[in-house]
Amino acid sequence: MAASVTRQIIRKRRRFFRHKKVCRFCADSSLKIDYKDPSILQNFLTERAKIVPRRITGNCAKHQRELTRAIKRARQMALLPYTTLHTI
Amino acid sequence: MYMRKYEVFFIVDPDLNDEETTSIEKKFREIVEREGGRVLTYKSWGKKRLAYPVKKRTRGHYFLMEMAGDSELPLEVERNMRIDDRVLKFITVKLEDRYDPTKDQTPEPQEPAEEERVNQTSEEAETVENASQDTIESGLEVKEEE
Repeated sequence: MAASVTRQIIRKRRRFFRHKKVCRFCADSSLKIDYKDPSILQNFLTERAKIVPRRITGNCAKHQRELTRAIKRARQMALLPYTTLHTI
Repeated sequence: MYMRKYEVFFIVDPDLNDEETTSIEKKFREIVEREGGRVLTYKSWGKKRLAYPVKKRTRGHYFLMEMAGDSELPLEVERNMRIDDRVLKFITVKLEDRYDPTKDQTPEPQEPAEEERVNQTSEEAETVENASQDTIESGLEVKEEE
């Protein structure tokens, strides 16, 4: 009984508060994930240059994986910062 | 038979003059060829601001080189990049595991062969078969020389 009630609550909440997010890379196949192109990767970083998690961006697992790999490579090549407080 | 296709993306000191940047290109082309590989493209991506200072520099000259060769090739190229002080940073990414050099994927060495084929087909329709065979053979020879 209790389980069914909580399930109902969750369903209700979802109906009222959330709308489904779509993976941007699945929706638009022309958008390529490339570590050499930091302008796209920039959209998936916070102000402190952290990688935005999947639960917020709505990316699918496959593209989030590709994305984090690309961001890490771009960081290596000084195209993206590791932090906003870079000191020598 | 099959080669691997890699891309090397690297940052060179932006304060160098044109002569030195071309000498770097020459040097890496020689290294790749010495190791039995082939440089497919070599492009400058221009000078950009770095996201963080590297070797106390705030700007860098980016280059992208695509090459094909065996698995030992990137080791040798990276070793030389580590030695060279003018190269600030580099990254090598494997693009293809089974790159077939005999297929037409490389614009640089294959261009003359293709021109021949076009000329011959336009001149004589009867000898098309022979001509195409000839060009294929000549194309192979070109590759072996390289």
